[in-house]
Amino acid sequence: MSVEQFQQQLLECFNGSQDSNVQTAAQTANQYTEMVKAGQLSKDEYVQLLSDIEQTNIINKSVDNQQVMEYMNTAITGLINIAKIVG
Amino acid sequence: MKKILIILSLVILQGCTVLDAYLMTNYDPNEYQLITYIRAEARQFKTQCDNVNSSKFNAGKIAHDTQLFVLYSEHIPRNENLIEAGKALNVIAQGLLTQYQNDKVSPAFCKIKFENIETSADKLQKVIGGRPR
Repeated sequence: MSVEQFQQQLLECFNGSQDSNVQTAAQTANQYTEMVKAGQLSKDEYVQLLSDIEQTNIINKSVDNQQVMEYMNTAITGLINIAKIVG
Repeated sequence: MKKILIILSLVILQGCTVLDAYLMTNYDPNEYQLITYIRAEARQFKTQCDNVNSSKFNAGKIAHDTQLFVLYSEHIPRNENLIEAGKALNVIAQGLLTQYQNDKVSPAFCKIKFENIETSADKLQKVIGGRPR
């Protein structure tokens, strides 16, 4: 596959996904590709930045999990407090 | 007795996730301070990318500080999400330092790296700050 075909695939990810993290990742990868084509980034830098997208995905996933836990914690603590008052 | 039954039924009905959420790690001001520091550094360092000597020093500094964040967080019980995220943040920061040690670094790359660190540190700061007190 050519660079353009991979870019087209990224564009499809951007358009086809409802997940803002996926959209941002696809957009960012395309932006880096344009920058390396324009000579603003070296090949090594480009490869590293694409790898960073993977690391950012790990961060986003962990943060999302943590936010769900915090949301649930608030609800559970609230229920316990209500139970104390009712009891 | 009624209270215990309510809590027990809640736990049994929803499974371990609810229990994990209830027992989640509380807010730790030191962890919050460390991630705030990393975010502030990244924000400042990205403006110095045109100066190679300063940027090389800054890359070493932020790689050290993200490592410190990982080491501080990794033995806090029930902190898996933050440990994973902290390690990923450290990989991003170490990559910039390695690039400075091995090769020339373009100002664009330097700026993107510090922006990535700042954005990720901001997300981590938000979840650490949102923990129960």
